[in-house]
Amino acid sequence: MPENFSSLVERGRVSRRLYTDPAIFEEEQKRIFGRVWLWLGHESQLKNTGDFFTTRMGRDRIIVARHDDGKIHAFHNRCTHRGAEVCPKRAGNAEHFECPYHAWTFRTDGSLKTVPLRKGYDDGFDDRAAALALEPVARLDSYQGFIFGSHAADGDDLETYLGPDVRAAFDNFIDRSPDGTVEMTGGTTVQRYRGNWKLQIENSIDLLHPLILHHSAVDAADRVDHGGREPSIEWDTVKANGLSFSEWDQLQVAALPRGHCWMGGFLTKSIDEDAEKAVMDEDGWRALQAEYRDIMVDKHGEVRADEILGFNRHNTIVYPNLFVNSRLAQIRILHPTAANNTEQHGYIFRRGGAPEKMFEASVRMVNANNSPSSIVTSDDHEVFERIQESLEFGGSEWLDWSRGIDQERVTNGASTGVGTNEVAMRNQHRAWADYMADA
Amino acid sequence: MTGPLPTSLERWHSVQQFVFHEAALLDGRDWDSWLDLFLPDAEYWMPYKWGQESPTDHVSLFYEDTTLLRMRIDRLKNDLSPLEWPPSRTNHHLSNLRIERDTGDRVTAAAYLIFIEYRREEQRLFSSRVTWELQATEETFRIAGKRVDLLNSDQETGHLRIAVPM
Repeated sequence: MPENFSSLVERGRVSRRLYTDPAIFEEEQKRIFGRVWLWLGHESQLKNTGDFFTTRMGRDRIIVARHDDGKIHAFHNRCTHRGAEVCPKRAGNAEHFECPYHAWTFRTDGSLKTVPLRKGYDDGFDDRAAALALEPVARLDSYQGFIFGSHAADGDDLETYLGPDVRAAFDNFIDRSPDGTVEMTGGTTVQRYRGNWKLQIENSIDLLHPLILHHSAVDAADRVDHGGREPSIEWDTVKANGLSFSEWDQLQVAALPRGHCWMGGFLTKSIDEDAEKAVMDEDGWRALQAEYRDIMVDKHGEVRADEILGFNRHNTIVYPNLFVNSRLAQIRILHPTAANNTEQHGYIFRRGGAPEKMFEASVRMVNANNSPSSIVTSDDHEVFERIQESLEFGGSEWLDWSRGIDQERVTNGASTGVGTNEVAMRNQHRAWADYMADA
Repeated sequence: MTGPLPTSLERWHSVQQFVFHEAALLDGRDWDSWLDLFLPDAEYWMPYKWGQESPTDHVSLFYEDTTLLRMRIDRLKNDLSPLEWPPSRTNHHLSNLRIERDTGDRVTAAAYLIFIEYRREEQRLFSSRVTWELQATEETFRIAGKRVDLLNSDQETGHLRIAVPM
């Protein structure tokens, strides 16, 4: 008799087993990560025939490649003969993939191309060859060039799964490029923490914690002497966590169907206010923003340019594991590998037609915020590990998620609340219970 | 393959004494004295990519000027938060010190660094190659730039938090 997991989520509280139980983690891999659309990468990584990259879906190793039919294909990085990894590289260009063990080769659409000593097999081998292709990802689709895959053959299509509010974040991601293109480049930051993946998606929409958890980083930022120069974007990334509770509450949080959510933007408020008091540096952030806005106005006119640049959100979180930030031209994804181990991979994008310094600013922001050395997010990861350790000790079953429970406003299927309302986390837990109940 | 740069034992010794001193300041958590070793426009760089050429077109593990380093150590130094408690204990083990370039005023020196950190019931080890760009002063040196290439900088499964500079 399978356990009724949905009983682990109640109104305003959840069981600590969501974070600690290895059996629940295994079920999540099947029922959540095995069914949703998971982000794989971006089409700018696959410009030419034979271009490929390797990535993950849940714990699975996946190859994504552009075949000579012009289409993108995705399949497991595991030889169908004995199971060896067929592609050890993270990206490149290939005519085919050759297994290092017995030299089975596979085309860039995953189909079996050759096996050595073909005559050693029976006559029926050719009939079986189609089934010996590298195991394909069940469904593959793109939105605005962002490639997603799903292990489930059936279910919502990608556009429906994302929904209008999440699609708006991807639309804005592209709209912010003067020539309408983005290129994923500049490497990946990978932060690992020994805690459950939910700790990060809850934290990223938790606007009560920054002033408290990150106070030592904010205090250090407050003590910086800028020497009459405009503050750096890295400094702002730290300082931005020091908004007051009432300022956080002025930001809106929206909880969307399927567990997704977004929050209002808050970065660069400090730099703008501080800079008003100081000189504006020629090579500083504000001069760069002014130059960029001029390019956008030339391209789109004042009204449309301000509409695009006025799309003021911080993270849009696609349940269960994706963070989209169109302002920072940044995407982050969580790869949970165990109930108590999670990797967060951060990617940045170059906007076509924008000043090159914009890309450098993205590099600097991801360094400051999502490198393992970040003095902000390393605080988060430290506290995640302490939560994980203490939840694993045992003790009381329930964790409280009731802040703002009677103050949610529901409109058009979305629940909204002030910044410190825990509405978005409750929404994540409801989505969890829905996926886990409906096997 | 060229041979080693001819260098006097005295010169090599002075560089060695300088980098040993820097290591002692770091291990002693004497952050202010450590940062005083840096010239005002110096940069501390720990690349992400193996053989990374530029810190501005690719992400880095650390890419900090003295203002950002000051903010980092100010937090470590003044922190009363439980997040940095207990403080890290560290040992910098330096070896294979070589002088790669020497113009009299400027010295490029490189060494292998084994950095061991103990904190919260766990001991961690990082192996790396450190390159210093040193400015000669009358009595000793100042750091014009420091680059730390971790052996596993681009490890695909990532790194746990690295709060203290190596």
